[in-house]
Amino acid sequence: MYAWIFRHLPGNTFWRVVQSLVLVAAVVAVLFLWVFPAVAPYLTLLEGDPAVG
Amino acid sequence: MGGVGELFITLGVVLGLFVVWQLWWTSVEANAQAQAVVQEFRATLPPANPAPAPAAELRTDDPPVPDAVGYGETIGTLVVPRWYGLTNNAMPIAEGTGMDVLDRAMAGHYETSQQVGEVGNFALAGHRRTHGNSFRHVDELEEGDQIIVETAETWYVYEVTDHEIVTPDQVDVVAPVPHHPDEKPTERLLTLTTCHSLSLGEYGNDHRWITYATFVGWMDRADGTPDQVR
Repeated sequence: MYAWIFRHLPGNTFWRVVQSLVLVAAVVAVLFLWVFPAVAPYLTLLEGDPAVG
Repeated sequence: MGGVGELFITLGVVLGLFVVWQLWWTSVEANAQAQAVVQEFRATLPPANPAPAPAAELRTDDPPVPDAVGYGETIGTLVVPRWYGLTNNAMPIAEGTGMDVLDRAMAGHYETSQQVGEVGNFALAGHRRTHGNSFRHVDELEEGDQIIVETAETWYVYEVTDHEIVTPDQVDVVAPVPHHPDEKPTERLLTLTTCHSLSLGEYGNDHRWITYATFVGWMDRADGTPDQVR
């Protein structure tokens, strides 16, 4: 999948790497700002009781 | 590389990112929110007086007791001199112990406990790790360390007496007389409650770390600032 995306990015290798980094940053931002806050109450990796940390 | 392999690697990376988010990013956000609350609180105060000479002493007569405020409203700030350089000094104190309060790196005042300066127990909750790590260094407090509460008019100074580690169901640690909910209080106490784990230390929450402090004096803001406040 990742190789397929990389092949289909326009430009030379340098620009493809730049675009890949932008895509990764965008995915991380979506995870940090929306996805993780939404799932955190259900994901208690270290906590038995999510009431107080 | 096969698609299944990529999927598993992606899952692993996302889980790793989640840990980074929880241990780091929640604190970045919470500290910014707490700082904004402190600035808002400070903006309502009269301009600071130059320190009067001679330096003010702590008063030991009955302190003024502020009126109760509504849920989520700011009571003042919490200053723990031992935590300078380690965590937020001062962190906001707000009414209530809901996650919406604690997740903003604030100390939450148990609504059923007494007001600051009042005879009884001024009990506060805070996160140990994540969302600002408010009370992370509670285990470094030693007997005699000051815990200072700043309100719009008054500084209240308490000193740590002892601590204990209890199970989360022992809610009477925040009673007016801790562990004796039916007794009538005679002392002015401050209690910090935060998460603790017997196996994971600051990273778990199967137990609660409770630190008790007793009132030693107060100072009108107009008279100066306690020695240990920087």
